Amino acid sequence: MTAMAEKNGPSGGNSANGGWEAAATVLEMRDVHAAYHGDISILNGLSLSVKENRITGIIGPNGAGKSTALKTMYGFLKPSRGSIVLGDEDISGRPPYDMMARGVTFVPQNRSLFNELTVEDNLRLGCWHFRRDKGKVEAALERVFGQFPILAERRDTLAGSLSGGQQRFVELGRALVVEPKIILLDEPTAMIAPRISREIYDFIEALPESGITVVLVDQNVRQCVNVSDMVYILDLGRNRGEGTKEKFSHDDHLKEMVAEWLDYQID
Amino acid sequence: MLSEVLVWNAIIGGIVFGVVYALIGCSLNVLAGVLRVINFAHGEFIIAGSFFAYALYTGLAIHPLLALPLCAVVFFVAGRGLYYLLVPRLAHSDEPETSSFLLMFGVSLMLVAIMTWIFEADIRPFNFSFEPINVTLYKVENAYGEGRHGRVLVPTARLVALAVNAVIIVGLTWFFYRTLPGKALRAATMNREAVQIVGINIHQLSSTAFGLATALAGITGVILALVVPSIDPNGGADFTLIGFIVIVLGGLGHPVGALFAGIIFGFVEQFSNLLLPQAAAQMVGFIILVAVIFVRPTGLFGKGVSK
Repeated sequence: MTAMAEKNGPSGGNSANGGWEAAATVLEMRDVHAAYHGDISILNGLSLSVKENRITGIIGPNGAGKSTALKTMYGFLKPSRGSIVLGDEDISGRPPYDMMARGVTFVPQNRSLFNELTVEDNLRLGCWHFRRDKGKVEAALERVFGQFPILAERRDTLAGSLSGGQQRFVELGRALVVEPKIILLDEPTAMIAPRISREIYDFIEALPESGITVVLVDQNVRQCVNVSDMVYILDLGRNRGEGTKEKFSHDDHLKEMVAEWLDYQID
Repeated sequence: MLSEVLVWNAIIGGIVFGVVYALIGCSLNVLAGVLRVINFAHGEFIIAGSFFAYALYTGLAIHPLLALPLCAVVFFVAGRGLYYLLVPRLAHSDEPETSSFLLMFGVSLMLVAIMTWIFEADIRPFNFSFEPINVTLYKVENAYGEGRHGRVLVPTARLVALAVNAVIIVGLTWFFYRTLPGKALRAATMNREAVQIVGINIHQLSSTAFGLATALAGITGVILALVVPSIDPNGGADFTLIGFIVIVLGGLGHPVGALFAGIIFGFVEQFSNLLLPQAAAQMVGFIILVAVIFVRPTGLFGKGVSK
């Protein structure tokens, strides 16, 4: 962690659940280094903590390694150094299907739907892990259709023919159909109309109340800081700062850093 | 003027060989779509299937139709084993698709060598026939002049091959469009990363695809053994080439497109043989291949494959 880290700040977006410090750590990256192709290293000693039923935000300039951090957490990349700990188990390099089995799901920045399958088939494939339990699959589908009524209306529509916002709801629904403990969200509102973005942020903000821990990567600094209990700033695959929403509004150094790197002025 | 008998024979040949080619294209497409592997050894797997039926019939007197399910099981298991032996290593390559091409070319050479070693280099006639040998499909009056009638005769083996192929194609369509594992395989052709995101073990799915494609190649070989006069250990390259033409025509990564493309190519091949000199007829397949690549690179039914 960097010297700027402040561990005792007040909670941000989900203070109703108790402070950041009061919550148990459920996922940790410890000095993680990771690369896509051999020697092109993207993460260079990243450390961060994800706490139970809290929203952990990750911001940083383009190329900082935010998306790579999530992909490494989800097992798409194997750390070359350091470790990733889920609960009290080192899960570094475990493949995505293993992460899913442990209650972690992932919604990537790029569209991840199967365009030539229907909305319902996309959601059914999300139930792959427990596909042989027909009753559980049907119950899970109905639960998601209850959460996203628009998907119930479009259940027989090909996913590729939906609007961008509706496609994002399918991806969120598919991630939630397994009742995850932790959801990793990469730019959930990228290329989405502002009205739908607000709906998505409201939805994300309510997830901890349902017992779901959120890790949120976002270019939208204002929204990310607003909804997150703790925000980590990344640059060149390293920690450059961290703090709660309140710390962000009081710490001049953090404000300057964000203003300089992200071209965004925190009020 | 063309004889009506010859035209009918070309139509029937087009359908029979068309569905065989459809099966070849479909299995190649499963591999190309799910694994991003262009299987240069596919033709040799087909020939291996023919020899499998030949060995069972000549050695153990097992009927070729009984050899079909045996072949499917043996080739499926062998395909899965070969996947785990070879394909995951490609992930370490900087150019996995090029490496896969070279790797499968090596496998094709190895298979030819093994088949030549076991069965020797001579072509082998498969001395099996159904009773009756031919079925009269259609009588043509005045086919060869006034008062000289002709008959459209179809070898029973071709009708059996057509029926078996039709059952397999219906089964495959049901599998791909009605079952969750089939949809998962189609999903992998649409977005391989997303398949992993939903918690599917990509190696299990890929090995299933490899096993399925190998089993289909083996089955195709058994069916071909019924309709071609002999089996040649070096004949696999012709079928690989036909498979490539079919998947280019139908669209890479589009199994159903391959079904239609196979039948189209079957008709084109048969009518080329009927209407053109032999040397020119052999060029038609290449002309189609080049023309489709230039005019519609995604094929007649393809929309492109996402990485």
